Amino acid sequence: MSPPADPLASLLAACAQGDRAAFERLYRDTAPKLFGVAMRILRREDWAEDVLQECYVRIWDHARDYRPGLAAPMTWMTSIVRNRCLDWLRRPNLEVRDEEGELIEAVESDRPGPLAALEASAGARALKKCLEALEAKQRQAIALAYFDGLSHSELASHLREPLGTVKTWVRRGLLRLKGCLEAP
Amino acid sequence: MNWRNNPQLQERLAAEYALGTLRGRARQCLERWMRENAALSRAVAEWQARLAPLALAVRPLPPPARVWRAIEARLPGAARPGLWDSVAFWRSLGLGASGAAAVLLAAVALVSPQAPVPAPAPVVLKVPSTEMAAVYLAVLSDPKTNKPLLLVSAGRHADQLQVRTLDPSIRVSGKDLELWALPAGGVPTSLGLVGDAERSMVKLAAAADKSLANVPALAISLEPKGGSPTGRATGPVLAIGPCVKFW
Repeated sequence: MSPPADPLASLLAACAQGDRAAFERLYRDTAPKLFGVAMRILRREDWAEDVLQECYVRIWDHARDYRPGLAAPMTWMTSIVRNRCLDWLRRPNLEVRDEEGELIEAVESDRPGPLAALEASAGARALKKCLEALEAKQRQAIALAYFDGLSHSELASHLREPLGTVKTWVRRGLLRLKGCLEAP
Repeated sequence: MNWRNNPQLQERLAAEYALGTLRGRARQCLERWMRENAALSRAVAEWQARLAPLALAVRPLPPPARVWRAIEARLPGAARPGLWDSVAFWRSLGLGASGAAAVLLAAVALVSPQAPVPAPAPVVLKVPSTEMAAVYLAVLSDPKTNKPLLLVSAGRHADQLQVRTLDPSIRVSGKDLELWALPAGGVPTSLGLVGDAERSMVKLAAAADKSLANVPALAISLEPKGGSPTGRATGPVLAIGPCVKFW
């Protein structure tokens, strides 16, 4: 549930009215997070820059479609970026990921990993607690899929497990996660 | 298969969509279903919200300043907004099929003999009267002058597009013309390069009914020899127009 007075929601509302200054503030406030998300999935700075550019133009264009009741502003914008990243990885003529190996290192050097950073809010702490309650394999599969944009088959080859097994981990992991988050 | 009466399946699809493991055609299908099914789109939104703290836990990375400059240049009213980058243009693709058809009719009217302006050679569209097979048709025009430049057509089961260049001056030596599908709300995808002859063919990956089902418009961009190196249009858009299915 989004807090009613999220300043990002007001900025989005102003963007919907064509307020360029509000859009620039929205960008300043959110771009580092979203660029981090895109870099994590795409592992190439040039791609992440292209995606970020497209997504902000899209956010500006669709600001009026944002529904505060349905999603928090950051969730809405993150979904746009993640969707675009996943589309991007589906391009048929995609070259090998991360030619410049240092980029992946730069992104991965945020040890002990993003899960540890899940302390920011009550919702984040609840998610962390529930992720920790999962079996290790389930948690690893879900984290890799979310953070790194891996598909089922990429998960299977990364984890060296049969495709069916990995699919089951993901499915059961998500089910348990929901059950845990909804538990009183 | 019937997800509508299967809440468990809906829930699972929504979760895997939000997680990102639902891919390819399944992902596209779900996006379509979400538009027509409020419960499904709510389930997806709930899952996105559940997982959102994960995204926020990723280490922030300030993007280079050039990204903001590029975004600013793409906003309406920017100094030189390329059509490709114009938000207004993308918004215009939100037109329903009838809107697209109206624009197409306007484009056809431009090439009809009755056109009041200095019209190019008239184009006669022959629809075989015996077999009224469905056909996809697009008249691609210069975005500035609205002058029709190319005619693209395909039978619904055909796996190639017939491209007729109406105005040879669209060609630039040393460059190629690349044809793009502009799917509704999606990313332009390359259909291939247009040959040099007045009439040429562009091979489709699948039958037109599949390849063009969700494609309200086509466009031509000017690209280096061999086509865009990036998978996205890099040169100016020389021609654009709605793509409509006729019965």
